[in-house]
Amino acid sequence: MKKISVEEFCRTKKKDFSLSVITNPKTLEKDITSQYLNRPGLAFAGYFERFAYKRIQILGETEISYLQSLKEEDQYNSIKEVLVYDIPCIIVTKGLSLPQQMEFLANEMNIPLLSSRLTTDKLYHSLRKYLGEVFSPSKTIHGSLLDVFGVGILLTGKSGIGKSECALDLVERGRCLVTDDVVKIFAQEDVLFGTSTNEYGHFMEVRGVGLIDVEKMFGIQAVRKQKRIDVQIELMPWKDTMDYERIGLGDNFVDILGVKIPIIYLPVSPGKNVAVVIEVVAMNHILKLYGYDAAKVYTQKLQKDLQKKAKLRHASIEGGE
Amino acid sequence: MIRKTIVIVNKLGMHARPATLIVKAASKYRSDFRIIKEDMEINGKSIMGVMTLAAEYGSELELVADGVDEEFLIKEIAELFASKFGEE
Repeated sequence: MKKISVEEFCRTKKKDFSLSVITNPKTLEKDITSQYLNRPGLAFAGYFERFAYKRIQILGETEISYLQSLKEEDQYNSIKEVLVYDIPCIIVTKGLSLPQQMEFLANEMNIPLLSSRLTTDKLYHSLRKYLGEVFSPSKTIHGSLLDVFGVGILLTGKSGIGKSECALDLVERGRCLVTDDVVKIFAQEDVLFGTSTNEYGHFMEVRGVGLIDVEKMFGIQAVRKQKRIDVQIELMPWKDTMDYERIGLGDNFVDILGVKIPIIYLPVSPGKNVAVVIEVVAMNHILKLYGYDAAKVYTQKLQKDLQKKAKLRHASIEGGE
Repeated sequence: MIRKTIVIVNKLGMHARPATLIVKAASKYRSDFRIIKEDMEINGKSIMGVMTLAAEYGSELELVADGVDEEFLIKEIAELFASKFGEE
C-alpha cells in the first residue's frame, strides 16, 4: 500500500498549503495511508459509528466553534475521545486558534497537528487533488509522450525502432514533447496521465548525435510537463504476416493501470513518414470524439450502394423474364 | 497468369468485411492480383480498390492472378467467395 509520512508531506507541501506544525516534530513520523479526508464534527459530538479515523482530519470553523461552545470539561473529553483513535494527521484551516487542550492532547497521543492558512474549502479541494496524485496507481513505460493537436499520444515500440526520431519529427512540425524514453503514467478517475520521471527538463537522446535539449532548441512551445494519454501507438517493423488494420471499424484497446485506451499498431519501414501518420491518428481520434467515424461513414455508403444495385439487378432480371 | 470468373453469392454483396477478408488473404501471396468488374479493374490487394468495385449480390467478377503462387491465390479467393464469407 502506498503511503507518505506527515514529515514528507509537510516538507514538500508546506508552501502550497501554507502549513505550520503545532505539535512537536516527533509526531510527524506518522504515515498518511488514505487519499481521502474527513471532517470529524460528528465524532466530536460523540457519534463514532463509521468514524473514518484513518484519514486526515480537517477541522474547520464548524468543528472549532462547536468545541469552543462546550464547557471546559466536556471539551476535554470530546477531544480526547477523538484523539484516542490512531489518526494520521489533523489539519486546522484558516489558521484558526485551537482549544488549549487540543495541542496538549495531540502531543500526548502522538498525533501530528497542523495549521493551514487556507480556507476549509480551498484546502479540502487542493489536498484531495494532491493526495489523489500521490495515491493514484502509477507505473513507468518505455516510450515517448507527445501532445499532437491536444491528443496525448503514447509512442511505444522496441528499442531502435525510431520513437525518439519520430518524436523529434513531430516537435519539428510544431507539436509538443512531454517526455522521451521513460514515461511515468498514473491513473486518476479512469483517465491516464503521463509525465517525466525527473525534473531535469526535456532532454532526449538522438542516436548518433547524443543528448539534446528540446526546450532550448525548439523553444517553450515545443514542450509541456504533463498530458492526458488518449491513444497508444505501437511502432513495429513491417511484417508481411502481421494483420494490420485496413478499415478501422473495430478499435483495439490496451489496458494501462485498469484504464482502457485505443491502441494502434503502426508498421514502420524505411522512408515512411511516421510523424504525418501520427498526426492523422490524432486528428482521426478528435473526429471520432466529435462523432464522425470515417470508416463507418464510408462502409455505410458502400452498403447502401450495394443494396440499391442488388435491388436494381433483381428487378431487371424479373423484368426480363 | 490465370483468370477465373465468379459471382457474388452472399446477399449483402462485397461490403467492408468481405473486402477486408479478400485483401488480407490475397496479401499473403506474392503474385499480383487484380479484380475486374465490367469496365473497372482494381488491385485486389488494396482495400479501397476492392470496396470501390461496390460489387453487389449477383454481380460477376473476374479474378486475375499473375505470379509464382497464382494458383493458390485464386483457389483461396474463389473459396472465400463461395463460402459467402460466412454470411447468408
